[in-house]
Amino acid sequence: MIDLISIALITLGGVLIGLGVHFIPVGGAPAAMAQATGVGTGTVQLAAGAGLTGLISAGFMYNFLATSGSFTTSDFILVLASGAVGAMIMITVTMFIGQLVYVYCVGVPPVSAKVDVDPITGDRQDIYVSKGTEGHGVPTVSFVSGTIGALFGGMGGSLVYVQLMQIGNAPSDPAIVALAGIFATGVFYVNAVLASYNIGGTIEGFHDPKFKRVPKAIISCLVASLLCAIIAVPIMGGVS
Amino acid sequence: MSAVEGGPASGGLPPNKVIAIGVIGGLAGIYLTMLNQTFNTTIFSVMGGIGSIFAVVWGADAVRRVCSYGLGTGVPSIGMVALGMGIVAAIFGLILPETGILQIPAILGPVISFIVAALIGLVIGLLSNKILNMNIPIMEKSMIEIAGAGCLVMMGLSASIAGSFAFNDAILPSVVSTGYIALVFIGGAMTILHPFNANLGPDESQYRTLYVAVEKAAIIMVIAGFASLTAIDAVSAALTMLVGLLIFLVYFNKFMKSVHREAYKVVGTGLLPSAEELE
Amino acid sequence: MIDPITGLGIVALMGALATIAGAAEDLESDVGSQSNPNSQVQLAAQMDFPHRIFNKAISGEPPAYGLWCATGATVASVLLAQNMSVIFAIAIGSLAGAILLGLFSVTAHMGRTASQKRFKQPIYMDMVIGHVPSIIAHGFIAVFCIISFSYIMDHVLSHPFPLPLLAFLWGITAGAIGSSTGDVHYGAEREFQNQPFGCGLNAAYSGNIVRKAESGLRNGIDNVWACAKFGGPVTGLALGFTVFFDNWRSTVFSGVNAVIAGLIIVLILILANRLVEVQGRKAYGPFKDEDGGAETA
Repeated sequence: MIDLISIALITLGGVLIGLGVHFIPVGGAPAAMAQATGVGTGTVQLAAGAGLTGLISAGFMYNFLATSGSFTTSDFILVLASGAVGAMIMITVTMFIGQLVYVYCVGVPPVSAKVDVDPITGDRQDIYVSKGTEGHGVPTVSFVSGTIGALFGGMGGSLVYVQLMQIGNAPSDPAIVALAGIFATGVFYVNAVLASYNIGGTIEGFHDPKFKRVPKAIISCLVASLLCAIIAVPIMGGVS
Repeated sequence: MSAVEGGPASGGLPPNKVIAIGVIGGLAGIYLTMLNQTFNTTIFSVMGGIGSIFAVVWGADAVRRVCSYGLGTGVPSIGMVALGMGIVAAIFGLILPETGILQIPAILGPVISFIVAALIGLVIGLLSNKILNMNIPIMEKSMIEIAGAGCLVMMGLSASIAGSFAFNDAILPSVVSTGYIALVFIGGAMTILHPFNANLGPDESQYRTLYVAVEKAAIIMVIAGFASLTAIDAVSAALTMLVGLLIFLVYFNKFMKSVHREAYKVVGTGLLPSAEELE
Repeated sequence: MIDPITGLGIVALMGALATIAGAAEDLESDVGSQSNPNSQVQLAAQMDFPHRIFNKAISGEPPAYGLWCATGATVASVLLAQNMSVIFAIAIGSLAGAILLGLFSVTAHMGRTASQKRFKQPIYMDMVIGHVPSIIAHGFIAVFCIISFSYIMDHVLSHPFPLPLLAFLWGITAGAIGSSTGDVHYGAEREFQNQPFGCGLNAAYSGNIVRKAESGLRNGIDNVWACAKFGGPVTGLALGFTVFFDNWRSTVFSGVNAVIAGLIIVLILILANRLVEVQGRKAYGPFKDEDGGAETA
């Protein structure tokens, strides 16, 4: 029997991961030299760092809820929320500390080069972009965008994990846990890399013109995750 | 960090030859671990590790060819996607014959994994080129190759730890439950992506890159051998470690020799090149 | 279940270990120059600025630290299965991970430099011999601390993931944090101390890194000395906060409350970021001269 609901949920998880990557403000190598807005690292890496922290939190919560009795729909949502919050904590701490380095150590004001006015705070942006750069630091709009990205990424990763665990139906079997964990990691990387190819490796957040490319990534992640889900569901069902 | 952009990579070994080495060597290594069951021993686990070295060489060469075009993101991400696809496919292929959903003999497992990996790679390659408009001419082919190679590396290392590629009886308890699968996953990814990343530059040469691939795959094989201490007997584990160490030493030397030959100059210490020298 | 006070103590211990791990992780990447700032070291030779800075392009830090930690945890698990004591097992495992890091560093530095033959960048063997032990030492501290708090999470707080998987995931997180926070100090400030402070780096000066030290030629050891003053410690703070907050909320609260507590932490950080942003804008900007000028990198 083919478990359509599981396949749909795992696919949704993959799409959420792909969507989340588009929100995370990452400037790639130039940002590490304060030449571009965003966190100074690669898209995939920051998204993976946040999403996998979320996976750890979700694994914790799932283990706690599933081994202590029946696992209800509200528990399911709670695990997803826990994964999302874990990822959000990781990314906000990272962006905040990164911001401290930009402001107090490198000596640049956080500014976006893609918009003239920060859509959230209303601060003027263009005159704060220093010569020969494309913005620097993490302005409020990018910060909030990154938080939303971690919400989606963490939730997506947790959704894949929890649904795989539900199919495996043995919350305390170490084999099932490890299999679901490594599978979720694999699906996470596939979607994060696809999304990162879509934005060419850098994006400032949801205000960036590149964000308009999101539909393409959603289609790609949908197809790729669907393929992974069709493969993953019989595996988890077949583990003895 | 892609400093080199555009244009296909050139090199001594033609791609088709490397593909043949990778596929045949990788699959042969995995299948030769079956000798363990035939002779009722675990000494042939070493073959899995050797098979993974062939697959790594292929994967590293495929990464080298595709990363010669600017990807827009660093070399590492393509290695991570390779193993992301590879791990899903590898486990699927190995487990499918054992689920009884389809009547397939268990011996076909690795081949099924390999085909599924190639299929996922093809889909991801098509998505990247057709929907995401990356327009890299060899994207589909390369994605098939690195997914296939990633899958073979995974299976080879897992088989060398567990002593067999039977999923429920061997790999599940000794590779997955123990968590060594994390090492197999990231070890495979790093051996495939590191060689080109470590040699990136205008004067990169294929042989040097592939020496690094062999040498790094061998060192991961040593660690896999150590991990296999909990699954198979100590003599077999020691054999895997020893063979890995030997291959590592031989190819590390080859790499060092090629660096000494190909670098501008190798000096004990010294000042920076003078302005006249840089002219 | 452990009682809340002990739980808090354990979470604090994990936070402390994570802080040390983060700092050592960042400093290790400064000794060897890994991750994004290394693009400038790579570029320097190309722009006719040969240098004596270690060029450690293993890969991005997250997969790299994933590998060191997964290796260390695998070796430690094997030793634990042979009934070795916990501290020794983790120490030996971390040593294996750190040596692996050293081996990867050698191929990365020598391979990249050899591939720059046409820019006449020599390979200095004394640098390989001098930097690799320092890389291994910093890496050992980082890997040891990451595996230690993963072990505590696994065996005391009973996280369901097996130790190697957990250490692998935390390694990726540690690498992601290290390359996002502390590396900026190295990339944007230490590499470009020859540029004016307070305006960021003009892209036209890319590759023009500082190559001379207080005495002699600058190398990775000089860089780590400077970065240990700010970049390293704040990276430690970032990893420490992540580990501490994430576990604190699920230890003190349970269920929905843990989620709400997490959201409050996130909200506080958004507001704190805003304060820092306002202060930065006041201190450095606006760069009026460039007002309205079309700028291209």
